[in-house]
Amino acid sequence: MTILLHGVGFGLVTASIIALASVAFSLQFSVTTTPNFAHGELLTVGAYGALVAQTLTHSLILEIIAAMAAGAVVASAMNLAILQPFLKAGAKRLTIFLVTVSIGLVIQNVLLIAFGGAPSAYELPAFDLKQVGPFLWTTLDEWIMLATLGTLLLLHIVLRYTKFGKSLRAVSDNPQLARVTGINTPRVIQLTWGIDGLIAGFAGFVLAAYVGSITPTIGFSFLVVVFAASVIGGLGRPYGTLVGALLIGVAMEVSASYLPAEYKTSVAFALLILTLLFRPSGVFATQIWKFSE
Amino acid sequence: MIDYFVSVLTLISIFAIVVLALNVRWGWAGEFDFFVYGLLALGAYVYAVITLPPAPKNDPGLIYMLGLSQPFPVGVLGAMTVTGLVSLIVGAVALRNLRQVFFGIMTFSSVLIMAAVISQETPIFNGYNGVFGLAQPFNDLLQLSDEQYSFFFLGLCLVSLFLIYLLLERIFWSPYGLVLRAIREDEVAAAAFGKSPYTARLKAYVLGGVIAGLSGALLVSYLTAFNTDAWTPQETVLIFACIIIGGTANGRGAILGSFIVFGLILEGTRFLPPIPGHPDAPSAVRAIAIAVVMLVFLRWRPQGILPERHLKDGEPGQPSAPLRALWSRLRVARGR
Repeated sequence: MTILLHGVGFGLVTASIIALASVAFSLQFSVTTTPNFAHGELLTVGAYGALVAQTLTHSLILEIIAAMAAGAVVASAMNLAILQPFLKAGAKRLTIFLVTVSIGLVIQNVLLIAFGGAPSAYELPAFDLKQVGPFLWTTLDEWIMLATLGTLLLLHIVLRYTKFGKSLRAVSDNPQLARVTGINTPRVIQLTWGIDGLIAGFAGFVLAAYVGSITPTIGFSFLVVVFAASVIGGLGRPYGTLVGALLIGVAMEVSASYLPAEYKTSVAFALLILTLLFRPSGVFATQIWKFSE
Repeated sequence: MIDYFVSVLTLISIFAIVVLALNVRWGWAGEFDFFVYGLLALGAYVYAVITLPPAPKNDPGLIYMLGLSQPFPVGVLGAMTVTGLVSLIVGAVALRNLRQVFFGIMTFSSVLIMAAVISQETPIFNGYNGVFGLAQPFNDLLQLSDEQYSFFFLGLCLVSLFLIYLLLERIFWSPYGLVLRAIREDEVAAAAFGKSPYTARLKAYVLGGVIAGLSGALLVSYLTAFNTDAWTPQETVLIFACIIIGGTANGRGAILGSFIVFGLILEGTRFLPPIPGHPDAPSAVRAIAIAVVMLVFLRWRPQGILPERHLKDGEPGQPSAPLRALWSRLRVARGR
């Protein structure tokens, strides 16, 4: 029982990181309907942004800002410089998917040239595990969960209670209708990519701090877990994604207590495949539809 | 120098076979399939354990199943059968209600699970260390020197590639090939004409899997060793790049694309001067070059260098003139 509870405790931390990364992915997908295979690279860019800031400043706040800024700049540039021209030329959705695959490959390898393939790490103080209720957490773990809660709460407030949030939800519901009612759709889409990058960059920083090492593939290897959480929650439903992240995170860490740790991600993939097969519109969707265009 | 060209050409023709396999799935059927490289790997492993002698009993560093010491043809057939069966299972499940991006995510996850299982479960294919020490096919009969043998093996690969190309060209212009492309263009319309999209897609998926298994068997018998390092998601992008650049749903385009990607881009960038302090730079530059070329093609020539050939109104399916001549001769030989 204690093993199970410890697993759940670690799972909550993992789930926080997954939630950050996949809510950003899901939000972006809900507005732009672009499946972004380069989402993992936004995380990596954030992680390296924070690393650069650390060598320059040694200030945690500036590191976080650098991570978020790096993610936002890359995501916005990706949309403006590459995706929009493709969409204007009438590219099909599968073409766009391949385009993001290529962009991801480019970013990953530019980082490989710039920083080398050897893992680097942030200078963080050593954290000890301590008993918190039934769970074993470090101070870092607690910070990660608090930061996730804070970020998601902020996002919720922006989505629910600001004019921009309202127009964003309108575009996500029905882009044509939103445009007819006078919403500047391209601007909303561009800003959504920016928000996606902000959160993804931060998620990359948190992921790298939690894992303890940064490599150019850190985000890519996290990508399928992000896909899993997003699909289980219903692709393009940011709130459902949150539950998906919780499910995946806890399932991964609890399984690690009973199976070899290398199967952790396979558990996430297996849950993903089961969801795709039986409820492709997500566990929480009220109605099942086929994803054929 | 000649050795170098022979080895590059051998690898290109092996990879061209797997590119043709993906072309059946992605070009003809329009399936966004990531599983194809996993099938190449699976074919390689299965070929290896069929042709290798039984694993030594008392060596914990070398464990694998089977070990049947069978000759090359048995190994190839075994590899093709297993990859075909696995494709049948994956395809039967995935093709039911998943399309496009969701199909891509599903097959991507499946191949990662397969990689995790093969790396972890040592008794199957010796885990991370993989299989090694394979014999050169047919050389126990031919007794050729290494140099002569490399030419022989190149010939074997080229003949396999050509036969696969002929077979696929035949299927491409057959009624089934037309049905498949009709389904790709408009599934509902094709279904309205009484064609089952599911069956047609599944057939194409299995056909692609069998061909991928052949290329896996050839690859491992050329490399004489195979492990999980030889098998990363990046390889799948390479195979997609070959098709996008050479020409989607065009057999000759797929082969041309393999020459461009594996020959020009991959081998060409090998001669770049090394950058001191950046040991990873050459491979990174190679990957960036591929991705950028792919982006350029997707943007300005999405159909590839050699675009898909279409039937004109009222014209029967017509492949190129030499192929037509060959077929009519075959038909005469069969007394038709």
